[in-house]
Amino acid sequence: MLSIPGRAVRNCDGVSRRELMRIGSIGMMGLGLPNFLAQKASAANESAAAGKYAGARGFGQAKSVIMIFLQGGPSHIDIWDPKPNAAANIRGEFKPIPTKIKGTHISEHMPMMAQALDKATLIRSMSYTPNGLFNHTAAIYQMLTGYPPDKVSPSGQLEPPNGADFPNIGSHISKMKPMTEPVLPFVELPRPLQESGIIGKGGAAGFLGKAYDPYRMYQDPVKPIQLDDLSLRKDVPADRLKDRFALLKGINGSMPDLEKALDSYAIDEYYGKAYDLVLSGKARDAFDLTKEKDTVRERYGMHTFGQSTLMARRLIEAGTKFVQVNWPSVANGDPETTAWDTHAANFGPLKNLHCPKLDRSLSALLEDMDQRGMLKETMVVAIGEFGRSPKIGVSTSGNSNAPDGRDHWPYCYSAVVAGAGIARGVQYGESDATASSPKEKPVHPNDLLATVYYALGVDPDMEIRNHLNQPRELVKGKIVTDLFG
Amino acid sequence: MKLFLLSNALVACLMAETYLKDVAPILNKAGCTSGPCHGAAKGKNGFKLSLRGYDPQFDYEALLYDLSGRRFNRAEPGKSLMLTKPTQEIPHGGGQRFEQTSTYYKTIFNWIAQGVPFGDPLKDVVSALAVEPLDIAMAKPGEKLGLKVMASYPDGSTRNVTREATIESNTPDVARIDAVQATVAGERTGEATLLIRYAGKYATIPVAVLNPKAGFVWKPLVQHNYLDQLIDAKLQKMKIQPSGLVNDAAFLRRVSLDLTGQLPAPDEVRAFVTDVTPGKLKRSRKIDQLMARPAYVDEWTMKWGDLLQSSRKFLGEKGTYGFREWIHESLAANKPYDGWVRELITSSGSSYESPEANFYRTTRDAKATMEKTTQVFMGTRMVCAQCHDHPFEKWTQNQYYEMAAFFSGVGVRPGYEVGEEIIYNQRADFEMKHPKDSRVMMPKYLVAAVGTPPLPEHDFDARKRREAFANWLTSRENPMFAKSAVNRVWSYFFGRGIIDPVDDIRASNPPVNAALLDALTKDFIAHNFDLRYLMRTIVNSRAYQASIVTNEWNAGDSTNFSHMTPRRLGAEQLMDAVAQATGARPNFPEVPEDTLASQLPDPHVGKEGFLDLFGRPTRETACECERRTELSLPQALNLVNGATISDAVADPKGRVAKLVLSGRSDTALVEELYLAALSRLPSKAESGSGLAYLAGGSRTGRAQDLLWALLNSKAFLYSW
Repeated sequence: MLSIPGRAVRNCDGVSRRELMRIGSIGMMGLGLPNFLAQKASAANESAAAGKYAGARGFGQAKSVIMIFLQGGPSHIDIWDPKPNAAANIRGEFKPIPTKIKGTHISEHMPMMAQALDKATLIRSMSYTPNGLFNHTAAIYQMLTGYPPDKVSPSGQLEPPNGADFPNIGSHISKMKPMTEPVLPFVELPRPLQESGIIGKGGAAGFLGKAYDPYRMYQDPVKPIQLDDLSLRKDVPADRLKDRFALLKGINGSMPDLEKALDSYAIDEYYGKAYDLVLSGKARDAFDLTKEKDTVRERYGMHTFGQSTLMARRLIEAGTKFVQVNWPSVANGDPETTAWDTHAANFGPLKNLHCPKLDRSLSALLEDMDQRGMLKETMVVAIGEFGRSPKIGVSTSGNSNAPDGRDHWPYCYSAVVAGAGIARGVQYGESDATASSPKEKPVHPNDLLATVYYALGVDPDMEIRNHLNQPRELVKGKIVTDLFG
Repeated sequence: MKLFLLSNALVACLMAETYLKDVAPILNKAGCTSGPCHGAAKGKNGFKLSLRGYDPQFDYEALLYDLSGRRFNRAEPGKSLMLTKPTQEIPHGGGQRFEQTSTYYKTIFNWIAQGVPFGDPLKDVVSALAVEPLDIAMAKPGEKLGLKVMASYPDGSTRNVTREATIESNTPDVARIDAVQATVAGERTGEATLLIRYAGKYATIPVAVLNPKAGFVWKPLVQHNYLDQLIDAKLQKMKIQPSGLVNDAAFLRRVSLDLTGQLPAPDEVRAFVTDVTPGKLKRSRKIDQLMARPAYVDEWTMKWGDLLQSSRKFLGEKGTYGFREWIHESLAANKPYDGWVRELITSSGSSYESPEANFYRTTRDAKATMEKTTQVFMGTRMVCAQCHDHPFEKWTQNQYYEMAAFFSGVGVRPGYEVGEEIIYNQRADFEMKHPKDSRVMMPKYLVAAVGTPPLPEHDFDARKRREAFANWLTSRENPMFAKSAVNRVWSYFFGRGIIDPVDDIRASNPPVNAALLDALTKDFIAHNFDLRYLMRTIVNSRAYQASIVTNEWNAGDSTNFSHMTPRRLGAEQLMDAVAQATGARPNFPEVPEDTLASQLPDPHVGKEGFLDLFGRPTRETACECERRTELSLPQALNLVNGATISDAVADPKGRVAKLVLSGRSDTALVEELYLAALSRLPSKAESGSGLAYLAGGSRTGRAQDLLWALLNSKAFLYSW
């Protein structure tokens, strides 16, 4: 079909008056018209997808996703995939310990995760080969949008985010899966992705438009947080806001011609939803960690990452579809300040800083969600943009490395996935003797994304349209159905 | 007998299938060359064809030589991979494309049996495509019509290719194509364009499905100028009754926002609505006043700054201010459009001394500069043709590089001061090369323009290239230059272009009213590319001054300018309107206090704030699509509960505070707030409910609430 690029069609052909009336009555619940249209479109896509994948394992089982994104590139050998029999300059300093997955060992510095792996699948065959140099942002973009970036400078640096970017998976999901609760559809915690001065690349809505950007908090959840847009202002308590909305309704109502002309723009629905968000306080409450017991907060870890992880659980519980928790340190930061980018120092920081935090928080999340029954319909993914070089002290990306540092390594790394039907207590794929490349069952980042879409009931092969209305695939990946139990 | 044999051979020879004439069209029609299949950039399963078969030579060689020729079995054509795959006798990822009993099969079978001849590029290519009917008008939805597509060849022969041609509708819910039957069916009232493609040639058929309702009687409305005559002519034909004029107050608000980006002040509204000068003259005078204001120049400096990507990301801070100043001066002086575009194209020298040379600093490579230049000044997107021939236009990949060659001699080197760069003409080693075979591409115009001299084949130096390009681009005979400017400017006043999107002009995206676009283009050229004249002509038309209120005949029309459509205020307009309505002074970082949003140098100022939330262009590309005007949940949250509006209405030095202190009556207070926010007086009922509300509590707080509600109303957020 020839589709001529154009501005979004604003008249509402195909939506009957009756349907519009129905939307009107549920408008305050947040099903605005654009959402409704999106829902219609996605309903068509979904039914097509449901037919295509009828009876397939794991299809459509997820209602929401927590993406734990360990920006910086965690060392897979030192965390998830120890190689005790490899040479000293590969196996490193850490010892392996057994886990709840029979025959699978992980690092001695991940003891709590070793016990929690009975709820998850450990993938040891993540792998891809980037075009050209592989710096963080290019790999992050690849990982979270499903597309390699097209403009990479010779140094591997990218441009800041722009409106031509491919959207983050969360943006797609918040467009395709309209909200039914007065909460935020897509939240990114505790801060945007970052490499040097490039902030948020691969983490935003790109050509879908800012409406589908994640809600960003820019705050440390360890401290009491301020949420101005979501909290009633001191000078405008609930009664006053109600008065204001009553006035607003009267003013809008006195210009019926304009109301009619704007009928299809769903303005009332957006306002209704904003009103609900502010007044109901549900979204704000989801951010309020003081509502959790101290023991729970401490179990997740009283640090930015741990509290963000807990906040993610609260948001999902309240109805948010997609939460991305970014590792709080800048991707290419100093390992001594908890960045995963361990060129300059690997073993000391991992042992003392990184692993204790990741171990505690991720295991707490899996246990807590499992106890609450939330793993039934929520998929949890913990992954970085790449792993680290099997050999210590060598340069693989052009960066310089300390004698005990490890460089970037996209050819083989690990991921933890759980929930929404993902097999429990299983290892998927295997790396070779030095964890340099997958020995079997390689999983491309796009395959993992395709699997997440599939779990959410979205056909990863569906066509999307970019800012120039050119047809593109949602993601070019193969669904890994064998990940499902 | 001998004679008979000879003539038989002659017939066979004449009838011989060739790749060019017979086989390539089948590969297109069967979908083999499509984007998701073998036409993909990397092919499919190891076999690559050119996208939509734009490069028959490449495809032929791919078929012939890949797999060491295993695609053909000349002795037993039926065992050729080229037949067993698409018929799925052996597994084919793309499924079955045609059956063994089909004519496609027979054609390819015969072609293989004859030894897979390529054909004669001089004889076997299509020279023209003719379609029937030439245009379609259906009296009502539900009608159905057959289509016919004839290809003609250089020897004068013709062939019916209806079955092999690709026929698509740009608006399938108006005109639906049945590809098997080659028919078009009217689905609902409206207009559509059919695009027909065959063997690299294109044709279009406009389709109109008329409103079947009985009782349409054309009621002529006042016509302010020739634009209304041309719009009415089309409307009458389409049985669409246009809306009448909008009232004075709404007109003033609309035209002030469109021309200056600013709301009219309360006193200006009062004066205008009470002025007893006859309407048309009164409005015309107001238009002239508005265009003489500094705000008019600021507003259009901002718009052109968007398109020319004036941003410190590319230009540095000093460069950005310089470039903005140059745009501002050019518009303030009302330099003819062709003149200042020419200055940009031929610019050289220091980015500080000759700020127009910054044009070459936002796109630093010849290809990007060419893409930007054609998109901004010709409304043409060449980007597809970088990798393959344009799928919906006649532009070829060769033309892409020939056009880019005009800019390949532009050099950029560091200057003497910090951040300064020098744009210069390179002397050697700047030839544009084709990526496929590295052959040197000499500059050639995309389309011929009458009166442009032939281009030299050799010794075409860098300076002369740009001069030649500038002459051609800005020529009165250039079919796209003036037209795209007129179309773009038109879109700023109506929310859509006569061709829409405005920067995607191509045969398959025709104007909704060609006569209108042509006449306005001629007028613009006749008035020496005077942008103010162009705008003045547009906003004086009845069509621009039409109401948003529709009637039973034009309610369904959204493309023929039969009524005005509400448009959300742009990010900068909204910000400035909040400041003006509330009296809270704008205070952006890094610029003097009271600098308006429309006066900001670039998107760096006020980054990540209100302006970005409401869709201010980031100036990363030259695409009109960068500006976003949809409404979203985060925006609604910000308007309802964010600091911008809530703080502004409560500003202790703001409008509410001053009004309360002034001791004016409640009636006057309500009136003033309506004038400030909605640019109109309140109705009696509105005034009454406003008064009742004010009486219900603290006067200041209640007045703040009223202003808050006015600022959150649709009448404030939209231009109507």
